[in-house]
Amino acid sequence: MSMIDVLTRVDAICNKYDKYDADKHRSDATAGDPFSRLYEAVDAEIDAALEKSERAAREKNRAAAVALNADVRRTKARLLHEAVKLQKIAAKKVKGLAPEEKALRSDLVAALPHRIEAIPDSGSGGAAEQNGGWNGGNARPGIKFDSSAETFDEGYYQTTEESEQFRREYEMRRIKQAGLDFISEGLDTLKNLAEDMNEELDRQVPLIDEIDSKVDKANSELRKTNVRLKQTVNQFRSTRNFTIDIILICVILGIAAYLYNILNQ
Amino acid sequence: MESAAALAKELGRCNEVSDFYRRASELYRECGRSQPASDALAKGASALEEKAPEEAIKMYDEACSLLEEDGKEQMAFDLYRTAAALYVKLEKYSDAASFFLRLGTAADKCNAINSQCKAYLSAIIIYLYAHDFQQAQKCYNDCSEVQAFLNSDQNRCATKLLSAYEEGDAEEVKRIGQSSAFNHLDHVVIRLARKLPTGDLQAIKKDAAADDGEEALDDDDLT
Repeated sequence: MSMIDVLTRVDAICNKYDKYDADKHRSDATAGDPFSRLYEAVDAEIDAALEKSERAAREKNRAAAVALNADVRRTKARLLHEAVKLQKIAAKKVKGLAPEEKALRSDLVAALPHRIEAIPDSGSGGAAEQNGGWNGGNARPGIKFDSSAETFDEGYYQTTEESEQFRREYEMRRIKQAGLDFISEGLDTLKNLAEDMNEELDRQVPLIDEIDSKVDKANSELRKTNVRLKQTVNQFRSTRNFTIDIILICVILGIAAYLYNILNQ
Repeated sequence: MESAAALAKELGRCNEVSDFYRRASELYRECGRSQPASDALAKGASALEEKAPEEAIKMYDEACSLLEEDGKEQMAFDLYRTAAALYVKLEKYSDAASFFLRLGTAADKCNAINSQCKAYLSAIIIYLYAHDFQQAQKCYNDCSEVQAFLNSDQNRCATKLLSAYEEGDAEEVKRIGQSSAFNHLDHVVIRLARKLPTGDLQAIKKDAAADDGEEALDDDDLT
């Protein structure tokens, strides 16, 4: 058989069994069909997401793995949306569509969400294979996150009694500190005053000593003078001179009065 | 004599004022009464402060030396302080600082530790105000050798001030200048302390650093 004969026979066979070619059917049949187009797109994206998740599971670099997983999660969310849309379209009546096809479509669409959910991402630790994949990619098993979403709820940020107490204590201490500062300044001034007074007194001690000696001297002199005066006065009192003095004074007074009378007449 | 001098002052004849007061003081000295002698000189100096400050300073100086000779420095404290204030007014800061140091020695003899420490602190402040950081440092080092100063509050203040200057921290210097430790110094000195960060702190820092650098070079040369 020659080449051309082989080729012709192959062509004939292809044409004969063309109806069993799913891809060709799909591409022919879905040329103008929105459902099929959307379904194809979703399918392609699911495959891409699966590939990404597999890569993430294999990834050694933690950051890259996290990024890939985040990407996968985003894609999943989007695809779920699209699946809902597809369901709606599948439910619509399309002309020229056989009822078996319609049933097939609804089945496919129903299966879509399951497929989408089954794409492994490291968000939820549900499925077993996910855990295996997670552990395989985990280089440090000892690191644990204590805080998860539950701890950061409302109660976490509320002021508990203890924290209120701490705050109050802090305020009181601050006020006390200000008071103590004030007191310390006052004490400083007092100390200075006291020290200056101390020095002043020290300075005046010798002066006072001098005053003391001088006053003593003056005192003794005064006493001496007093005694002499007393002696002199006593001398006067005891003799006749005192009476003679009085008589003479009376005489002089009489003469003075007489003269005064004469002058005034 | 003193009454004559007071009259002359009222009449405004300055040289006669000083002459009269000097004669009065000499007479007192002859009688052996040094205290009134120095008092007379001090009165003359205060009378002349406005008109002939140089003359006044000289009289203060004589009055202080009189008392020092007689061993009565206690009386001289006020004179030292007034003389230093006058110097500060004339902006002769190194003279003022030297007067404070004389006050310090006098206080030392009389065991008046508080006055002594205050005098040393005032001297340091005056040097700093005159932008003379090296002198201030030297002064501080000298004063630290005095045991009484070393243990005093004023010493702590001085250390803080000098370290703030070394770091060139103007805010710190201002804060220390406002602190209560300076409130009991002479009011003239307090005014200086309040105005303290004068001059370029950075320049001072550079000078200090340059000095250290030069010393390092010297070490290298020797080795």
